[in-house]
Amino acid sequence: MAKQKKKNDKPSSRRAVVVAGTRTPFVRAFKEFLKMDTIALGAAAVEGLLAKSEVSRDELDAIVWGGVILPGLAPNVGREIALDLKLPHSVEGMTVTRACASGLQAITLAAAAIERGDADVVIAGGSDSTSNAELKLPQKLVHALAPMAFGKATPADMLGVVSQLMPISEVLPRMPKIAERTTGEVMGEAAERMALRNEISREAQDEFAAASHHRAAAGISSGVLRDEVTAVKTPAGKWVHSDTLVRADTSVEKLSKLRPVFDKKRGTLTAGNSSALTDGASAVLLMSEEKAKALGYTPLAVVSNWAYSGVDPADQLLMGPALAMPEVLRRSGYELCDIDIVDMHEAFAAQVLAILKMLGSDAFAKARLGRDKAVGKVDPAKLNIYGGSVALGHPFGATGARMVTTMANELHRTGKKTALLGICAAGGLGAAAILEHPDS
Amino acid sequence: MSDFLLELGQNPTARKAIKQLGLPIPMPEKLKRCKTPWQERPLQDYDIALGGPANSAVLPFLAKSIVVAGANPMVVGDDKALAVYAGPGEAYGRPATKLDPENLPERFRTHALVFDGTEIKDTSSLKEAYDFFHPLIRSLRKGGRGIVIGRPPLMQKNAEFAAAQSALDGFVRSMAKEIGKKGATAQLLYVEKGAEARMEPALRFTLSPRSAFMTGQPLQIRKTLKEPSSVPFVRPLAGKVALLTGAARGIGKATVRLLAAEGAHVVCLDRPQDDQLVSQVARDIGGSVLLADISDPDAAQKIVSELKARHGGVDIIVHNAGVTRDKTLARMKPQYWEQTLDINLVAVTRITRALLEDGLRDNGRIICLSSVAGIAGNMGQTNYAASKAGLIGYVKQMAEPLAKRGITINAIAPGFIETRMTAAIPIAIREGGRRLSALGQGGAPQDIGEVITFLSTPGAYGMTGNLIRVCGGALIGA
Repeated sequence: MAKQKKKNDKPSSRRAVVVAGTRTPFVRAFKEFLKMDTIALGAAAVEGLLAKSEVSRDELDAIVWGGVILPGLAPNVGREIALDLKLPHSVEGMTVTRACASGLQAITLAAAAIERGDADVVIAGGSDSTSNAELKLPQKLVHALAPMAFGKATPADMLGVVSQLMPISEVLPRMPKIAERTTGEVMGEAAERMALRNEISREAQDEFAAASHHRAAAGISSGVLRDEVTAVKTPAGKWVHSDTLVRADTSVEKLSKLRPVFDKKRGTLTAGNSSALTDGASAVLLMSEEKAKALGYTPLAVVSNWAYSGVDPADQLLMGPALAMPEVLRRSGYELCDIDIVDMHEAFAAQVLAILKMLGSDAFAKARLGRDKAVGKVDPAKLNIYGGSVALGHPFGATGARMVTTMANELHRTGKKTALLGICAAGGLGAAAILEHPDS
Repeated sequence: MSDFLLELGQNPTARKAIKQLGLPIPMPEKLKRCKTPWQERPLQDYDIALGGPANSAVLPFLAKSIVVAGANPMVVGDDKALAVYAGPGEAYGRPATKLDPENLPERFRTHALVFDGTEIKDTSSLKEAYDFFHPLIRSLRKGGRGIVIGRPPLMQKNAEFAAAQSALDGFVRSMAKEIGKKGATAQLLYVEKGAEARMEPALRFTLSPRSAFMTGQPLQIRKTLKEPSSVPFVRPLAGKVALLTGAARGIGKATVRLLAAEGAHVVCLDRPQDDQLVSQVARDIGGSVLLADISDPDAAQKIVSELKARHGGVDIIVHNAGVTRDKTLARMKPQYWEQTLDINLVAVTRITRALLEDGLRDNGRIICLSSVAGIAGNMGQTNYAASKAGLIGYVKQMAEPLAKRGITINAIAPGFIETRMTAAIPIAIREGGRRLSALGQGGAPQDIGEVITFLSTPGAYGMTGNLIRVCGGALIGA
């Protein structure tokens, strides 16, 4: 990421700060954003960010983007967004994928570049359009069709294609399931097993889910979350102004009536206490602290530390944050009790509650973290104060920047000092980050 | 070489017909075996019933081992016993459940039953073993495991204690014979006081399908050796060099594959006549070849020089090469005696002595292949049985002197294993060898290989000077 740097810039003391953040509304898959692919959604979020921050396009160095379902022929979504928005060609772009933590990964990569002095102003975020997930033809059919596609087919090749078409069921496109490639296990089933193994009850999950919805609804009506959302005009000409998944009127009683979806007989996970398939995009504007001040911005928060972890996907697939969160605390020199607000991605209520249990367990800390005592108990009043993915939805790549935006705004608004973020991801990965108030 | 009755037993129609007609045809249960290298959680999702007192010194180690290996603990006992499982259960997401033997759920099935008998200090308390196993034994799945943990009887000063712990041996041997027909095995772990931490690798091995053909065996786990620097559970032989004699076929060929799968570089030794065969084996596993006739007195030095020159030494020695030259004593020609003793026994002691002087590294492993024929004797095998019995005494005597170098030495006594050697036995005797055992079938070369591999690992540091039968509970010998 090249731009002329002053010779006396000291990368180690440079801080990467969040200057602004915004997102599209998050809507259920196959609904309002059906006709907008991930590039279009990303462009809407970035355009909203540029308008909200009023940053000059000439100041932009780069765009770092995160996504899970990347278009097969144009996977560098970040660069495509820059080109679609006609940003200066010098705004170079890359796209990164780390499952549900892709958005946070994009942000920490941008922050690292800024700390190094490789860049001063970077747009970082993520998007996903489940509605526009490409359906994959079985590879053997693709191979059989290749001679025809390249115009060199012989009669034998044509017959080969016909023989590859049988049995027809093997050739029809398949709906993508969110399943682990190495274990074949559907993510929801993995979460069910975690609920069982960590003894997380249906009631606890429904209570957590209801709180997520109520807090998100409160955040929307108070304006806190509404200020973070940029309205989007769909290709059909319709305006979408706000998140559509949040249910202010839900209750534990209503949630308890839903049937389990991943284990029909003994399951505890339902559509109500799991995050839904969603479309959306979000982005933050990151700058070096000096650049932000030079351009007249008040930094909202510093992206000060982050950590990524890996666990065995065949064991407890979604427990990654139980390792990443303690690690980022260790890197920052903080203990959990020093943290003012905590934001955890709610893939499933059961997953969040299982991780909280691990963080609160002395035995877990001794056996798995090399600590004498537990990381600590997260005060529910400090956790997901404006709801989470269960209520708002989870467009995979967009969740990271959504969380960073909300936490940065909260630190700025209240003067609180520290925020801890945790995100679990497919492949047995965990991600965590710490944001700090610029004055601390 | 194939076992007709085993194959017949796999056919559901044949099974049904034979049962319905009441025909007295034994259909042994096909044994479950592992197809992958050592895994992080060999007992993943196993439902294991556990019993024993809360105040046992063994219990915390047992609880941790079971949970870390991926199993679900079902505890028969009071809340104090259950509480010991709380910590590991929380740390690894395997909470223990309380099991009431009087109120078992319908269609209750277990993968294993593990009983801690280390606190049975007098003979009248032996009823505790009966109380645990009696209600639960029917729930044991096909291919399941029964494990009893005790204290070594001969190390006890109190005669009553010694009697009680010794009683567990007869109990386990009989239980093994009862559950053998469903392909299940039973083992007794005699854990010396202070050696509890060394139980974990043995538990992981004996509870897993790797111990498929070993049953009714008491394993002594002692604190003779010092703890090694690390005890890995995955790729435990990474960085180790192993020498195996008789690698061209049978048990040797199966074993080198298993050793290599756990990360060892295996030097495959066999006679020059078997060059092609042994080279193929070595090529398949990325090992190397050493051609030598071990009955040649010069072979020992040749082996030492080659191992030192090519690999700087050796960590694991498996004396597997062996021959039979069966003849009744009156008819036995001198060369039949000489060849058998030279290859099976003299070569072993000669090569071991040479490598102990120079070549075998500290924390090494020596494994000798004996035989049940060495324990019980056999018609026409005065030579073979002598050689195999000789190895047993050798191993028992060498254990202590080698301990200070961190080297263990053990003997394995295979029972009837389906190989070229046993295929040559006349059919009637062969069938006898297969059927007269708890598991009712011959073992696979892999079954011996698994035990050899286990004994070669750092985790087996608690076991030395042992004779371990891997015989499917064969009736011959004790």
